[in-house]
Amino acid sequence: MKARVEEADERLLVEAAQQDPRRFGELYERNFDRVYAFVPRRVASRAEAEDVTAEVFHRALVNLPRFQWRGVPFASWLLRIATNTAADQQRRAGRKRLDPAPEIAAPETSDARQVEEEERSARLFRLVQQLPADQRRVVRLRFAEEKSIHKVAQELGRSEGAVKQLQFRALENLRA
Amino acid sequence: MAKANLSEELNRALEPVLASPDAALPALSPHIAGLAGLALELRFLPRERFRVRLREELEWEAKMSEAAATKPLRVGFHTITPYIAVREATELIGFVKRAFGAEGGVLGIGSEGGIHAEMKIGDSMVMIGGGAALNRTPMPTALHYYVPDCDAVYRRAIEAGATSLMEPADQFYGDREAAVKDVAGNHWYIATHLNGPHIPPGLHSIQVSLHLHGASSLIEFLVKALGVEEISRHPAPDGTIAHATLRLGSSTFEMGAAHGPWQPMPTMFNLYVPDADALYCRALEAGAESVAEPADQPYGARVAAVKDPAGNRWYFATPGKTMSH
Repeated sequence: MKARVEEADERLLVEAAQQDPRRFGELYERNFDRVYAFVPRRVASRAEAEDVTAEVFHRALVNLPRFQWRGVPFASWLLRIATNTAADQQRRAGRKRLDPAPEIAAPETSDARQVEEEERSARLFRLVQQLPADQRRVVRLRFAEEKSIHKVAQELGRSEGAVKQLQFRALENLRA
Repeated sequence: MAKANLSEELNRALEPVLASPDAALPALSPHIAGLAGLALELRFLPRERFRVRLREELEWEAKMSEAAATKPLRVGFHTITPYIAVREATELIGFVKRAFGAEGGVLGIGSEGGIHAEMKIGDSMVMIGGGAALNRTPMPTALHYYVPDCDAVYRRAIEAGATSLMEPADQFYGDREAAVKDVAGNHWYIATHLNGPHIPPGLHSIQVSLHLHGASSLIEFLVKALGVEEISRHPAPDGTIAHATLRLGSSTFEMGAAHGPWQPMPTMFNLYVPDADALYCRALEAGAESVAEPADQPYGARVAAVKDPAGNRWYFATPGKTMSH
C-alpha cells in the first residue's frame, strides 16, 4: 500500500515537473542518493562520479518532457541515463569499461547483489542527513571530504580524541 | 572496553583503508568490524557542497528553460544577441541593410562610447555599436547566417562591399555555404540547409560561430558558468572539435577548432536572462573574470558582464518594466 502511495506521489511529481521544470528540484532531492550510490562504482574517482552524476541530472531535466510513465520507478529511468553516461565517461577517459560485459547492463538486469548494495548505500546516505549535527559534520568531513582526523579536529575546534568518538558514535547510530 | 578505546581501535583500523582503497581491514572484533564495514561504504558518500551546487545549477537551468519556453524577456530577442563593437559601425549598418535586408537602426549612445544600433536580420537580432567614438578594442565576430538562397545572398553581400572568403558550395554536412568578410572585419557564413527548411530545426537565422584553440575546455567552462547545454559534437580526426552546437535558453551558438583562415575572434554576447545577478555570481564561481558588477542601467535593465577564458565577453541583462528601446 505504502509503495502504491509513493508511486502515485512520484507520478504526480514527474507530471508536475514536466509541466513546470522548476519543480524538478523535488525529483532531484528524492533521487539524488540513489543515483549517487550507483555512479561511483562505475567510474574511477570521486571527480568523475560528480561529473557523471551532474550530467545524469542535466540530461534528465532536458529530456523530462519525453519521459513516459510506464509504471517503473523514476529512478530506473535515471539509472539507465547513468549507465549510458558512465559508459560515455569511460570512453572519453580512454579507458576500457570497468564492467567486463560488452555493454554495461541496464539496472533492471544487473547483478541483484550490486543493486542491493547500491540501495543500501542510498539508504545510508539518507541516514547520514538524520544524524545529530556534530556527528554529521564529522562523517561528511571524514568520508566525503576525505580529511584526516587531525584536519577534522582543527576544522571543528575539537580534540582528535573527541572527533574519533564522534566518528564512532555516528557509525553506531548509522548501524542501529 | 571503554568507549575511548573502542573509538581508537576503530580509527586505527580505518586509517589505512581510507588512505588506500586497496588496503584490507585487519582482523577486528565483530562489533568494530561491523562499524568499519559501514565506514567503507561511506567512502562513496557524496560531498554536500556538490549536492547543493548541482541543485542550484539545475534550478538555474529550469528557470532558463522556463523563460525560453514561455515568453522572451525582451520582445523580439532570443536569449543571445551578438554585439558587434567596431569603429566602422555606421558602414556596417549600411552593409547589413543592403546585403541582408536588415531592419532597424541607431537607437542612441552605447555604454562603451559611440552609437548603439539594433538590427533585425532574418528572425534574429544583432546589436552594433561603436563608430569613431568607440572607446574600447573593436570586437568583430563571426556569424552563421541561414538564408533561403545562399548564392543570391552571397552575391548581394559581395555587391554591398564584402570580400569573398569562400564561394558557395555544397558541404558534406548538408548545407550549401559561402563565407564573406564585411568592411568591419566580421565573418558571415551564409548558409542554406539543404534538406527540409533552410534553417536547421531548433536553430535561428543567426548564430555566433566561434573558432578556438581548446574548444572542449571552453565548452566545459560554459556548461559550468552559464548552464550551456551541448547539443552536438563532431570530433576532427586530430581529436579536436570540428563542430559543436550549444544551446543557451532559446538560442544556439556553435564552435570548432581554429584552423586556416578561421582563427579566434573573441565575441561579445548579450544575454537576456531572468536574473543577471545570479548568473554573474555563478560565472565568477566557475572562474570567469568580472568585467562589470551587476548594476541598474539608465535604460531600464540590470546588467553585469564577465570574460571567459577564451576572451569572449558575456553581458547578462535582465530587463526591468521600464526598459526603453
